[in-house]
Formats: sequence, structure tokens, C-alpha cells
Amino acid sequence: MRIDIHISPQPIDLNGPAPESLDDQTGALASFTGLVRSQENGRIIAALEYEAYQPMAERLMRRILENIAGRHPCHFVRVTHRIGVIPVGQAAIQIVVAAAHRAEAFAMMSEFMNRLKQDVPIWKLRAIDRDPPPPPPPS
Amino acid sequence: MRVLLFAHLKDHAGRAEFELSLPGPTPMDELWRRLLAVHPELAPFRDSVRLARNGEYVDKASSFVDTDEVALIPPVSGG
Repeated sequence: MRIDIHISPQPIDLNGPAPESLDDQTGALASFTGLVRSQENGRIIAALEYEAYQPMAERLMRRILENIAGRHPCHFVRVTHRIGVIPVGQAAIQIVVAAAHRAEAFAMMSEFMNRLKQDVPIWKLRAIDRDPPPPPPPS
Repeated sequence: MRVLLFAHLKDHAGRAEFELSLPGPTPMDELWRRLLAVHPELAPFRDSVRLARNGEYVDKASSFVDTDEVALIPPVSGG
């Protein structure tokens, strides 16, 4: 299984290229994109800031993907996690999986996200509040 | 030993990393004692923090040497 992992402050291109390793054995190409929502713990926010312990996060993600692939064989997985300040509506993470069948692809995405949220050293550092609206003009 | 701090631990300590000298192989409890002697403000987080040695999580039976890089990993929240 080919694994591509990227942790970067660059915006995630939601129309990124399809995996190069697709072949005639691939019957399922699935993707999941996690977006920053406008509410965080009841607050209206403008952005979230993320931080990673990057070498460990990349190594652990690869190990988790290889472990899951032992039970749910896939052909290709690409994980892209953005760090730094991410505005509302933009992607914090994207996973693209190619497999023979949808069951393996969906299982890979679901199990990986669960493990990511348990073990991979990436943190939401803080929520950045949306600027308050300007005061009304004097009457 | 290089010690790395992340997320709110970095804010409480006021820095992202620091150097700590160990006299020799040091068990985890002793490492924590030395860490908290330098940064006692991190004590409330000890129970929720996992230690990583050279980029790998370790268990309570582990010991550490001066050339290790140790990261204090608070509960993660990626994705």
C-alpha cells in the first residue's frame, strides 16, 4: 500500500490530484474532508489554530495506516493535515483512500480518524473569535 | 536531554523546549520529579500527559538517558 502523509500550513487543495497509483484493481476511491466549523464550544469563531509534533505525528500516522491495512487492505492512502491558523470553512484534514471495494476504503477512513483523535500528537491550540460587529453609527 | 512542550503546556511553562541534565539511566518517576522541579506549574497536568521518547510513546517502566529527546504530550485533538 502506498502511503502519502503531509502536515503543512498550506491550504488543502480539495480538488487535488487523484492518486497516481490507481489501476484496474481499484474499485473504490473514497475521501473524507474535515472542515473548521463556525462554532467551537458554543463560541462563534473565525478560525482554529493547530499545532503538531510533526516527526512523531507523521511516523505514527504511517504506523496506524499500516496496521489498519492489515485488516482492511487498501491500495493507496493520502492524509493531509493542515496546521497553523485555519479559517472557518477551510479544511483541517483530508483523507483519500483507494481500495478494491468501498468497505475497505470506508473502514480505513473511519478507523484512522478514531486513532488520530486518540494518539497522533496534533492539537487544536486555540479558537480565534470572530471580530465583533462594528458599533451602530451615531444617530 | 532535550524536553519538548506542546499546546497549553508550552503556555504554562513559557517556552517550547528546554535542556535537562540526567546523571544516568533515569526511571520515569524520577524524570517527572526533575521536570517538575524545573517547571512546577506543569504538575496539575501530569496525570493527563503522556511521555514520548525520541518520538515514541513509552510506558511507566521506561527509563531515560541524557541523549534522549522527551516530549510531553497532552491529550491530542487533531482532525
